[in-house]
Amino acid sequence: MPFCCNGCRGAYALIQQWGLEDYYALRDQLVGTGEQVGTGSGSQLSDALDTEGWLSLDDPEAFGDHAPEACGEGWVRVRLAVAGLHCGACAWLIERAARQHAGWQSARVRLSDHTAELIYDPEVIPLSQIAAQMSRLGYRVSPLVSGDAEQRRASENRALLIAIATAGFCAANAMWIAVALYAGEHSGIDANHGSVLRWSGVILACISVGIPGNTFLRGALASLRTRTPHMDLPVALGITTGCLAGVVSVVRGGEDNYFDSVTMLVFLLLVGRWVQFRQQHRAAEAVSLLMRLTPRQATRVNANGTTSTVWADRLDVGEIVRVGPRQAIPADGRVVVGESRIDRSLVTGESLPIAITVGDAVLAGCHNVTSSLDVEVTAVGTESRVGRLTQLIEDAAGEKAPLVQRADRIGGVFVFTVVGLAVLTAYAWWPHSPGEAINHSVALLIVACPCALALATPLALAVAVGRAASRGILIRGADVMERLAKPGVIWFDKTGTLTLGRLDLVRLHGCSTVPEATILAEAVALESGVNHPVASAIQRKCGGQQRIELVVVERQIFPGMGVTGMVSGHALGVGNSKLLAELGATPADREMAIADQIISHGLSPLWIVRDGQVVAVGGVGDELRSGALETVQRLSDRGWEVGMLSGDHPETALRIGKALGLEPDRVLGGVSPEEKLEVIRQSSTGQRGSRPVVMVGDGVNDAAALAAADVGIAIRGGASASLQAAPVYLPGDRLLKLDELMAASARTVRTVGLNFGLSVGYNAFAAGLAMLGWISPLIAAVLMPISSLTVLSVVLTRRTFRDSKPDGSREIQMKTPKLSQVAA
Amino acid sequence: MSVLYVALPIAIAMGAVALVACIRCIRGGQFEDLESPPVRMLIDDD
Repeated sequence: MPFCCNGCRGAYALIQQWGLEDYYALRDQLVGTGEQVGTGSGSQLSDALDTEGWLSLDDPEAFGDHAPEACGEGWVRVRLAVAGLHCGACAWLIERAARQHAGWQSARVRLSDHTAELIYDPEVIPLSQIAAQMSRLGYRVSPLVSGDAEQRRASENRALLIAIATAGFCAANAMWIAVALYAGEHSGIDANHGSVLRWSGVILACISVGIPGNTFLRGALASLRTRTPHMDLPVALGITTGCLAGVVSVVRGGEDNYFDSVTMLVFLLLVGRWVQFRQQHRAAEAVSLLMRLTPRQATRVNANGTTSTVWADRLDVGEIVRVGPRQAIPADGRVVVGESRIDRSLVTGESLPIAITVGDAVLAGCHNVTSSLDVEVTAVGTESRVGRLTQLIEDAAGEKAPLVQRADRIGGVFVFTVVGLAVLTAYAWWPHSPGEAINHSVALLIVACPCALALATPLALAVAVGRAASRGILIRGADVMERLAKPGVIWFDKTGTLTLGRLDLVRLHGCSTVPEATILAEAVALESGVNHPVASAIQRKCGGQQRIELVVVERQIFPGMGVTGMVSGHALGVGNSKLLAELGATPADREMAIADQIISHGLSPLWIVRDGQVVAVGGVGDELRSGALETVQRLSDRGWEVGMLSGDHPETALRIGKALGLEPDRVLGGVSPEEKLEVIRQSSTGQRGSRPVVMVGDGVNDAAALAAADVGIAIRGGASASLQAAPVYLPGDRLLKLDELMAASARTVRTVGLNFGLSVGYNAFAAGLAMLGWISPLIAAVLMPISSLTVLSVVLTRRTFRDSKPDGSREIQMKTPKLSQVAA
Repeated sequence: MSVLYVALPIAIAMGAVALVACIRCIRGGQFEDLESPPVRMLIDDD
């Protein structure tokens, strides 16, 4: 069975041991069979449980505000952050694991904020053992970061939900009362009944405006005080006049009533507000997940050689901290003592631990794997790389989309226009009859309430973002859609973004009577045990095929050329063109032609020589992702200027650029992360305004450029840090989604424009009617919901995304006749 | 038709009871996590 990592292998062993095989059935049922993962060559899992790295969890001091609390009969309850949760199956596994241990009563996993609540008996099983068990399953637990902001968000969420519930209650009841009244108007109604219904309606409207609608009134007051135009202003004006006019009319026994419109309006606007709130909340959750990467406590090495435990954020630059095996590094720093391997997957996305030694820089949030390290601190907390990224995201999440800002500005203009028109109406009608003059201006104030306008923009953006998410494109920041609507400049990172980011043997052409499979098997045997990317590329090419153990003797490695040796009695050589010259073999013209073609596709030729004869030629290179070529072409068709930035050698970058059909002057190779940032900055200063600058990348080396671009698009599966820096995540295997996203953005912006026109048109029409004195309560009651409903249905019925079918003919295909057949 | 004087308050009172119940649920945190409960329902089989 293939495993992606040792964690999975360990988890699999434990699951079998505990008799929990159902996990796999459940996982497949919930998330589909998932993608294929490569075969790992992991080490054996030791049965002994290692709690050393988790001992700090037994100290209640480590938890701050979230310390374990007793909950009776010796049980203790604690809430922990859990890293590595993916789906319902993870929750199942953890909750089941609790039952396998005496003294661990239960675990309740909350997927929405990646926490778990554990109830256990510290006398029987200390928390460090539980943590160690969970880490064997592949989940890393840590104390919760002091959650002021989260607490605030949670209570804000509750307050909003309660407001929506109250407003919904008022609106629903006001509606049926209104229906009774309109029916009564049609078929006749007893005056007493009418008045009871009207009174009930007005009371409901007052409750609705007074309690849940309070937030609009407060917003309007704040907007008046700070003199910043805001959508709350006209909304507050409309609902208060509506409510007051209703009260006055009921007291005087009149028939005018707008309570149904007012209550419905408050309800709809609150729902819209909550949708927006949820979106920002998601971004904030991503941030707090990132913050949990860094530990709260650190072991400081004092000048006299002793150690003491201190809070990680109180460390000073220049201090030395000791990081034991299986511990996370608390701050950015430089290794001063020790050698180890560190797992940087959380920060950079590199899948394998890398070796580090004295003098190497380490980042906060990386995990130390093998042995203890002493690290000199160079940056702490918000100054560290993870901290800076977190700051960046929080800033981005707090910004308002320009489209929403425009709606707010219009709201300001709106309120003055409406008040002006109301005064004008009153003035014009006054000579005719003062009573009617007041009636008509009040009607104007109510019907001109810009509910559609206030709903239209945020709703359209929220719906588009939601639809994108259901297609695997995660968008954070509502301004993304607007910025992508017009073509501009787009820069791609090469390795890992346009290409798969690893060397592969793309194609092997046999050139002689010897079967390809034999040649490949011999080549694999020759390369086995050779530690070189090309060797592993050849072994991957062979893949799961059954291989025969072939005897290799006299293996000789020519650095920078290839390998030679005797395989089953044949002298075999595998290497590049230099090795070919070294061995004195000359390829035939046909083979040279294939090699040229391989080179023109951005790959390097790999020759296999057997007994002095060229028997096969293959292409080794970083293979293009499927759809890369088509994406680039479609984007150019849309008018985007496509370019490529690569840290790789300029020649390689140029070859790949040529294969993709990019202009040579738009392909920049050998650029450092800082230079990438500079390129992005220059592109954006050169074309400020209408032309957006987009960066698409996957690695931490792209993170700065991603953040600096107008829109950064991160490829999922890459480094988590780069994901955090970019407002858009794209699934890595589906580059074509990029093109869909551009098209969807343009359509969303058009929808917003259409909604603007519609709601302004409605309001102008209703205001005109009111000024002429033609607005009856009935017309007002019909017009107001209709304008909101039109806007809603426009948003919901217009398709944001259209499928773009991959067009196979544009894919790179090496249409070479198989020379083995020609030769045979 | 004087039934209206009884029916209307009853209807609104019934709605109000539901509203109070809903608010209690919200305060109790039932709407905090909308992802795990549906999954847990599927897997709590013993």
